Amino acid sequence: MRIVVLTKPVPDPASGAERLGPGGRLDRAASPAVVNGNDEYVLEKALKLVAEAGEGEVILLSMAPASAPETMRKALAMGATRGVLVTDPALEGSCTVATTRVLAAALKTLEFDLAFAGVDTSDGVAGVVPAGVAVLAGLPYLSYAATIEPNMGARTVRVNRITPTGFDVLEAPMPALISGTQALGEPRYPSLKGIMAARSKEISTISLADLGVDPATVGTAGATTRVVGSRKPPDRAATRVIRDPAEEAARQVVAFLAKRRII
Amino acid sequence: MAEVTATTREPGPYRLTEEHEMLRDAVRVLADERVSPRAAEIDRTAEFPQDLRKLLADHDILALPFPIEHGGLGGELLPVALAIEQLSRACATTGLILMVQELGSLPILLAGTPEQHARWFPGLASGEHLIAFALTEAEAGSDAAAARTTATKDGDDYVIEGSKRFISHGSIADLITVFAVTDAEAPRHRRLSAFVVEVPTKGFAVARLEHKMGIRGSPTAELAFDGVRVPQANRLGAEGDGFGIAMQTLDRSRPGVAAQAVGIAQGALEVATAYARDRRQFGQRIGEFQMVGAMLADMDAATEAARQLLYKACVEIDAGSPEASRWSAMCKLVAGDAAMRVTTDAVQVLGGYGYIDEFPVERMMRDAKITQLYEGTQQIQRLVIARSLLGKDG
Amino acid sequence: MAGGIWVHGELAGDGSLAKLSTEVATLARSLAEASGEPLTGVVIGSDPKAAAATLADYVPRVLAVAEPETAEHAAGTIVAQRLAALIAEHEPRIVMTGAGAEGRDLAGALSALTGWGVLANATAVRWDDGGPVATHNVFGGKLVTESALTGDQGIVTLRPNAITAEAAPAKGKVEAVTPSGSLEQPAVPIVDRLEASGAAASIDDARIIVAGGRGVGGPDGFTLVQELADVLGGAVGATRAAVDSGWIPYSQQIGQTGKIVKPALYLALGISGAIQHKVGMQTAESIVAVNRDPDAPIADFADVFVVGDLFEVGRALLEQLRSRSG
Repeated sequence: MRIVVLTKPVPDPASGAERLGPGGRLDRAASPAVVNGNDEYVLEKALKLVAEAGEGEVILLSMAPASAPETMRKALAMGATRGVLVTDPALEGSCTVATTRVLAAALKTLEFDLAFAGVDTSDGVAGVVPAGVAVLAGLPYLSYAATIEPNMGARTVRVNRITPTGFDVLEAPMPALISGTQALGEPRYPSLKGIMAARSKEISTISLADLGVDPATVGTAGATTRVVGSRKPPDRAATRVIRDPAEEAARQVVAFLAKRRII
Repeated sequence: MAEVTATTREPGPYRLTEEHEMLRDAVRVLADERVSPRAAEIDRTAEFPQDLRKLLADHDILALPFPIEHGGLGGELLPVALAIEQLSRACATTGLILMVQELGSLPILLAGTPEQHARWFPGLASGEHLIAFALTEAEAGSDAAAARTTATKDGDDYVIEGSKRFISHGSIADLITVFAVTDAEAPRHRRLSAFVVEVPTKGFAVARLEHKMGIRGSPTAELAFDGVRVPQANRLGAEGDGFGIAMQTLDRSRPGVAAQAVGIAQGALEVATAYARDRRQFGQRIGEFQMVGAMLADMDAATEAARQLLYKACVEIDAGSPEASRWSAMCKLVAGDAAMRVTTDAVQVLGGYGYIDEFPVERMMRDAKITQLYEGTQQIQRLVIARSLLGKDG
Repeated sequence: MAGGIWVHGELAGDGSLAKLSTEVATLARSLAEASGEPLTGVVIGSDPKAAAATLADYVPRVLAVAEPETAEHAAGTIVAQRLAALIAEHEPRIVMTGAGAEGRDLAGALSALTGWGVLANATAVRWDDGGPVATHNVFGGKLVTESALTGDQGIVTLRPNAITAEAAPAKGKVEAVTPSGSLEQPAVPIVDRLEASGAAASIDDARIIVAGGRGVGGPDGFTLVQELADVLGGAVGATRAAVDSGWIPYSQQIGQTGKIVKPALYLALGISGAIQHKVGMQTAESIVAVNRDPDAPIADFADVFVVGDLFEVGRALLEQLRSRSG
């Protein structure tokens, strides 16, 4: 079984150091990069499925600056087989439309049974790229997966898609593109063997020219949206700290709720 | 044109690589989640933590010091040091499990044949077997060449007679690297040979276990060798190579002690910092008192200085520096002293709470002391450094 | 070019209009007023009538597109193709939808089909300089950014609970539209529908949420959280740590990889307020937190912060609220 996992290096949300650089673009040097959280869940699932199948590979696909291999190594240390990095100076400042086009074009160069992506990324939070990639690559699209069950014999895949009341059970032929959620299960920690093995794993790079994508249609030049301003959010009113014993503290909370007409 | 063979590695860049950081973080998570909750109990019961030995084995941590072709992770010093540091930050006894595994194996790595590597390393790398290093004797501590234990040739075997003292893991190891006199008449540094003794075996006994001030979960044994027979195939290197093997071993193992010391210091610093942030006296956090803040700053600076010297020493030794003895002695000297001072100050920051076992700093202070003693006292480290200095000019 | 602002009316599971779509429609109406652009709603589904009628409470004109395929297939890609065909025919400038699962799937597919940019996950949108300007909370709420389209056309997705829905003074007309043309993209059949077992009260639209974190200590601790939610008439939420520990289902998770909520009251028990959780609840109108750690990050953005044991304070609160309501 061969699974491609779309992964994106994002500024570590736990670092608290994210900021914008010139032109309203993400300042990637300001905070350490990590693998996007939702991507780790689908990567974990991909690793488990390939291990259960007993054969195959997990291929990482990223569109990112040339410094991305460092972050990709973390995903390789978790157990992915190899990485494919689409990188090109012209891609800087790309919007979701360009990202979707480039990833779809790169996906078409790979052979796979399933392609996975996290439902959204913690930096952009748009959540629109997976559906777009599926459309441009002509793949069946199964989104918001809580479970993924491939059937290699029938060459189909079943997904429990999260709905407000439960799940829709979706089924599609392979190859298909699936966006996954945290409900797929906790990502593993890389083992020390995995970490040491990662350095010898292959990361191949693809440029826009390799994909036949016109540089004018991507990056800042081809962006469909632009950041026009940024500001700090207004501060909330000062916190009222209560250090009294439980009974008295509860009394004050009840009074607060009544004053705000919540109860 | 003559063929050029490179035997030394280029020194690494002057910061940890992504791989080093990943490895360190992986061990740190394990130490925080699995080792730290056991540390106080291990100290109190003074029982060897077999569960944590298994944890280290299951997570490839015991594989770090061994060659890749025998199931190891390459044996570079810096990754080993990073792992020891993180484990010791939570529990010095647990850090010592990896240290002793490395220490006992280094003579095999340095002087063993490919056959000997293939014979012993896979079981050691997987953690199935433990190994101990038996050099010290009751009357031969800092003066290792004065050892009295003998190994007498008898046909294809050697027969070992004597005793070894202060042997970490001596009572639980499956293999013991033993240094014994094969030629009492030879010059001082040619008297000893090194052997791998597979235990249990006839004539071998654990004479007693020590009651220690710190690292209490790690068994320290006195070992008796009463006509223990080992085949010649278990000798490491040639007859008379023993002392040289032991000294080369210590050059590579002392950074492990330094790593343990840095880990203990870091652990104590973190406890003291958290306490200084929470504890209020006279209406303010005690960390806001300048005298306490200054102590914390000194503790942090001392720990970081020791850590940087340790990392540099690892890289230099791995790169084949001719000053390996100097680097390894310096990093242990600085780190051991830092650990002792930082843990003592941590107790001071916690006041009365630091002196009781409700907080871990009193344990850390007791654990720190050993790093100034074993694998050469601090006085011996200074001797090594001074010789390196004076020898250059003289 | 014909122009206009379109609102996509999303169908809830029972065929009614999703609440989020009423919020999108309300916002779209204000943009239409500001810009002078005509406003149209579009509902696409196997039985769009009921939802289209509701959407007509908010916008003057609704296109109800009967598309039988969505009855037994995943809707996003199908709806996107029908919408793309209608866009080609009617040439609106802006399409607005919700930033929930359905809206994101639709926006992604529609963007790929049209090449239009997406102003995603907006918390507010105003009309400025001839086009929509969207406001976004980024970096876990540390920064507010504004973005605009570089061209004339685009898609806007609006975050749930960002604004309060309000019906229009006059009811609009519904026009039935028959879709034409073929669907080129592969359709994905729905082979079964499962109700989540023990589904708790939904946190999406809850006015009051009582949430528990790692400090709650286990599934038993969530009994107190549930009791408080019951007496307040609210829903139970949780942090990722509590969900990962298996104390409570993922459907109740709030934060970066869970849901984003905006209740009138967010009562946080044993929640430190790490950035990944803060993202999901920081816009709550009132935040009350109980935590033993006086330095927990939530102390910086709660309205009321009680330093104390959550079980002691929680039980005292429960008693006082019960005696009040009883």
